[in-house]
Amino acid sequence: MLSTLLSQIVNGLVTGALIGLIALGYTMVYGIIQLINFAHGEIFMIGSYGGLAMFTYLLPTAIQNQWYFALPLLLIAGAAVSVGVAVLMERFAYRPLRNAPRLAPLITALGVSVALQEAVRVFYPGATAALPFPKAFVEGTWEIPVPGGTVPLRWTGLLIIVVALVLTFALNTFVNNSRMGRAMRATSQDRDVARLMGIDPDRVIVLTFVLGAALAGVAGVLNGVDLGFTNIDLGFQNGIFAFTAAVLGGIGSIKGAVAGGFAIGLVKALGGQYLPGGTAYDYVWIFVVLIAVLVFRPQGFFGETERVRA
Amino acid sequence: MTALEKDVVTEPGPAVEPRGRLAALAPYATALRAAGGLLTVIGAYLPWATFVLNEGPYPEKATLEFFTAPFGVSGFRLHLLVFGIVALVLAFVRTLPSRGRILRALGWGIVAVTVANGLYLTVLGGGFGAITAADGAVAFGAIVALIGGALVLVGAFAGGLGEQLRWGRPLGRYAEWAILLVVFTLLLLLVAAVLTSGGQGSVANPYSGAVFLSFLGAVGGLLAALHAAGVLTWVTAMSERHRAFSAIVLLVVALALPLTGAGTQYWMTVAANIGVYAATAIGLNIVVGLAGLLDLGYVAFLGIGAVVAANFSGATAARFDIVLPFPLVMVISAVVAGIFGAIVGSPTLRVRGDYLAIVTLAFGEIFVRSSQNNIGGLTGGSNAIPGIPPVSAFGQAFNEKLTVGSVELPAGALYYFLIVVIVAAVMAVFGNLKNSRLGRAWIAIREDEDAARAMGIRTGPVKILAFMIGATLAGLAGAFFAHKTGTVSYESFRFLESVTLLAAVILGGMGTIPGAVLGASILFVLPEKLREFSDYRLLIFGIALVLIMRFRPQGLVPDSHRRAELAPEAEPPPPDPGTGTATGKVAVQ
Amino acid sequence: MTRRRTIITAAILAGTLGLTACGTNREEGEGEGGGGTTAGACDTSKGTLIIGMVAPLSGGLSALGLGMRNSAQLAVDQANEACKVPGYELAFQAEDDQANPQVAGQAATKLASDENVVGVIGTLNSSTSQTVQPILKQEGIVQVSPANTGPALTLGENYATAPARPFDNYFRVSTTDLVQGPFAANYLVETAGKKAIAVIDDGKTYGANLAEQFAQQAQKKGAQIVAREKVGERDTDFSGVITTIRALNPDAVYYGGEYPVAGPLSAQLAAAGLNIPLMGGDGIVDATYVSLGGRPGDLATSVGAPAESLPSAKQFLDDYAAKNFTEEYSTYGALTYDATNVVIEALAKALANGDYSAERRADIVAAVQETNLQGASGEISFDEFGDTTNKVLTVYQVEGDSFAPVEGSTGAFEG
Repeated sequence: MLSTLLSQIVNGLVTGALIGLIALGYTMVYGIIQLINFAHGEIFMIGSYGGLAMFTYLLPTAIQNQWYFALPLLLIAGAAVSVGVAVLMERFAYRPLRNAPRLAPLITALGVSVALQEAVRVFYPGATAALPFPKAFVEGTWEIPVPGGTVPLRWTGLLIIVVALVLTFALNTFVNNSRMGRAMRATSQDRDVARLMGIDPDRVIVLTFVLGAALAGVAGVLNGVDLGFTNIDLGFQNGIFAFTAAVLGGIGSIKGAVAGGFAIGLVKALGGQYLPGGTAYDYVWIFVVLIAVLVFRPQGFFGETERVRA
Repeated sequence: MTALEKDVVTEPGPAVEPRGRLAALAPYATALRAAGGLLTVIGAYLPWATFVLNEGPYPEKATLEFFTAPFGVSGFRLHLLVFGIVALVLAFVRTLPSRGRILRALGWGIVAVTVANGLYLTVLGGGFGAITAADGAVAFGAIVALIGGALVLVGAFAGGLGEQLRWGRPLGRYAEWAILLVVFTLLLLLVAAVLTSGGQGSVANPYSGAVFLSFLGAVGGLLAALHAAGVLTWVTAMSERHRAFSAIVLLVVALALPLTGAGTQYWMTVAANIGVYAATAIGLNIVVGLAGLLDLGYVAFLGIGAVVAANFSGATAARFDIVLPFPLVMVISAVVAGIFGAIVGSPTLRVRGDYLAIVTLAFGEIFVRSSQNNIGGLTGGSNAIPGIPPVSAFGQAFNEKLTVGSVELPAGALYYFLIVVIVAAVMAVFGNLKNSRLGRAWIAIREDEDAARAMGIRTGPVKILAFMIGATLAGLAGAFFAHKTGTVSYESFRFLESVTLLAAVILGGMGTIPGAVLGASILFVLPEKLREFSDYRLLIFGIALVLIMRFRPQGLVPDSHRRAELAPEAEPPPPDPGTGTATGKVAVQ
Repeated sequence: MTRRRTIITAAILAGTLGLTACGTNREEGEGEGGGGTTAGACDTSKGTLIIGMVAPLSGGLSALGLGMRNSAQLAVDQANEACKVPGYELAFQAEDDQANPQVAGQAATKLASDENVVGVIGTLNSSTSQTVQPILKQEGIVQVSPANTGPALTLGENYATAPARPFDNYFRVSTTDLVQGPFAANYLVETAGKKAIAVIDDGKTYGANLAEQFAQQAQKKGAQIVAREKVGERDTDFSGVITTIRALNPDAVYYGGEYPVAGPLSAQLAAAGLNIPLMGGDGIVDATYVSLGGRPGDLATSVGAPAESLPSAKQFLDDYAAKNFTEEYSTYGALTYDATNVVIEALAKALANGDYSAERRADIVAAVQETNLQGASGEISFDEFGDTTNKVLTVYQVEGDSFAPVEGSTGAFEG
């Protein structure tokens, strides 16, 4: 059925846009310090709680129902909280291990991930269970007519796709054209030479974490707005998917991360629909893709074949 | 430690290297140390709580004066008294070159004991009034002892730490055997004492956590002091000289645990669970510790072993209607897990480093998801496979009490014996492999894969072998797990369990034989003893992982001869060549 | 410079602490001896008896587990105030099972090795109960679960063909999937007239079994199961599943699982243009179901007669609120409260003639078997398998922002 196929593609694109936003953080951090920042998924989750806290505790009731005021504030709050946590995490967990052997930061990242998730569960009021998230956007669905039916697209889903594309474009421009962006690229290629050129690698690395976390925070709030709830489990699964997307697209590549996100979204949606086992195994297909990519094309779609790594 | 060392490496004069910031206090070092010791003794005798806490009286008669019964102190007060007196004496013994180190250990011990008890009293007593003065009652025991401990520490640093004492020219063989026997027996009693300290936490025994933590602080101080005095090094060197003897005695000692105070059904169950994780962690230690391949989905092999065993156990939900004897089941479980190990390990031919970690994580997640969906009708899906009968031999079910002559063994003791034997066998495998050609190949790969290949090591098969052997050991443990737990459910094999196993290996010390066992024990015993903090268990766990990697990445028992993956290095590590881009250099065998 | 700042900071800190925090929580009017913490005037001269609990108090299911803990605590506190068990003080001890069968076994062993444990409430998950049952059985301790729904726990593995009770010390106040699923199917197919139903579950024991039993009965009643799908435990976006079933034009969705997924699922169904009701089991009956996305018209079944019609249920809700617990009582609060009271009543009955000792645990089990109690969830007594005889269920429908009982839907499942 055409409408089912197209619907699944639309679902895949919405999921993919969200995952792509998270994947940008993975890809930038990995590109610059070769760290799989496992805790990045939790940064995404914390972003949603940041937005929720803004709405619950700070936002005046008068503008709670006017999404064009509320949504930007939620996005800012979510991004701010994510950035704050990420900066602390970089400073106190990762920076001391900058020169440690490669397994150490990865294990630290696992620890940070567990600790962040638990910290929210223990300290955020009511976070032991899923919490309702304000629907701070136009509710409802755009029914796109196609031959033989319609394809539903939530307005919030459309919002996610648009925001993801806009932010990716902005980020790409920043990295390629700005002075700081050049510094980032230089640092990712050779930290020591970059230092000789007068770049402060610490500042660049912090900036990388800040950018990635801000995007994840935005994604967290958008996800909450789209789904109408948030919970502390969000981070792990989406984080792994996002990492897969980053690898798929070629780690270090901004376009690749978003393309990888869309690919993962489509695998999940179409795999659940058409592959044997149905939705019970959609999750498995993503991991199969992950393994296959890592084994057979570890440089991903957009990765450089002979990447010189710092 | 070789046998060639001199008796005692004497230091010329005391105070060799007073620490920079405290150097100004060096002239007062003795006074500080003595004052600290004295204050600790006084603190031990002062009352600690201003009133009887609402949950019931705090242990060791904390609200009472003790000057009336100077010899009647017990528990943490006794520990403090002993530490204080020793510190006081050491302050004036000038001939002992390592007394600064010993005093430092004692100081930390005093602080730990005081802080543990003081914090419990403060929190449960609802504020600092509980340990200072309130409602006309005064109780400055905690404050005084804390100041005492701090003074001992300051005095220790101010006076210079001195060298760690080295002593012990090799004695005769039988003398050393006798000493080892005594030491290991003491170790057994110490372990039993730690396990039983504070008793079982329950509503009737609300302070078990406090007593346990306090005891742990005291034991830590004691062991550190012994280490500073060179005793531990001496004993270690001795047991190194008599490896076979030590191994046998340790095994016997481990088997004797049910005869101590820890011989209850509860601790036998906990110990058996520790054993399962220890055996699995040793397997993981081969993969991570020796071969340097990070595996984040390792618990799946335990799961595979358990699922296989469950299906041949005669449980109603089992897929096969065949009941096989337990030893055979263990072998089958191990083999099947080993085959899966080889499959999971095969991407190592092309994937390295963190990318490999992610591949293993993906395999682990696929296992969980597939077994949740009851793949092939083998795993029972969401219903799990319940009702797996206990192991039995000679008509004796392993989960029941057993009376041999006049000795009554608690229920679960037989399982405990079985797992001790399994862990011992796994340790033997690990120890032999580590020192074999294969083990050296793994270590070479861990240090530098390209160099290893250049030296003629066939890295591909060697790496797959690491996965295979590790998985085999986990599968063995899995078969035990299935029968001991009685239920095999996908819920037991989630990602967090893999992280816990990894944490056990790292905490204990990567690549060392006792490391994994020690790590698994700590990760199981602490949450059991401190159940009142169960709400914060994972939070503390996560933070602890971060702190370990930051401050002691080599673990509690560092591997002596390794410039390890995780040991701190003077220089930055060599660039990691082409992680994930190893396309061009695949397995040329 | 830095050092001085440190000293000043420390001094200020110490000063503030000294000034502000020198309080205690000492309770007034407390006697000297024996740790009698309750101010009540009960005779507790014979000591303390412990009611244990094994439930997930940490990790992802802790919301349910902590609700269970608080509800049981409430029951124990009330029993102490009312001197329900003369001569004894009751204490409540909750152990964390991390929703992990192995840890549950450890927790159960810990409780079982305590002479003074008279009964255990729990567990939440059926898989953890599977390991707890045999351990408690060894010591003859009664176990009453407020939440287990797997039929095999009371009826044995061959529950469909040859039911045989495996553990005579195990009871539950919750209904099994064998009752709840078919009851829901009867209502949805016969009363609500839905003929094309999509069945979704979360792949966990409770949800998967409930959905399975529902599907079987619904087919028997002539409805068509158009889809049988699963969602992941950690999934949050269900659009894939929804698109799959949308193409099959169902007129209702039955979901086996709990409210944190069910609420959002319902919302996303509507967002995808599927304005059909979602029905679930007692796992979705929660105050937050609607705020998480549940829609008016959604249905659920729950054990017992409606709470509003039972004064005891109302009383429980008020008492729970009065205790100011930090956590909600959640899905299994009322049932846990009842399960605890079952043990307390049985204990009182068993100890009416003679003091407690570990040998008397058999009497407690016997007394539980004879239970006849008006609980917060209704009339409670047990059949020969240890299942509750209260097989009365009620259908609830979302009206406004909460579940309201459907008039005339209360009844027992009769096949």
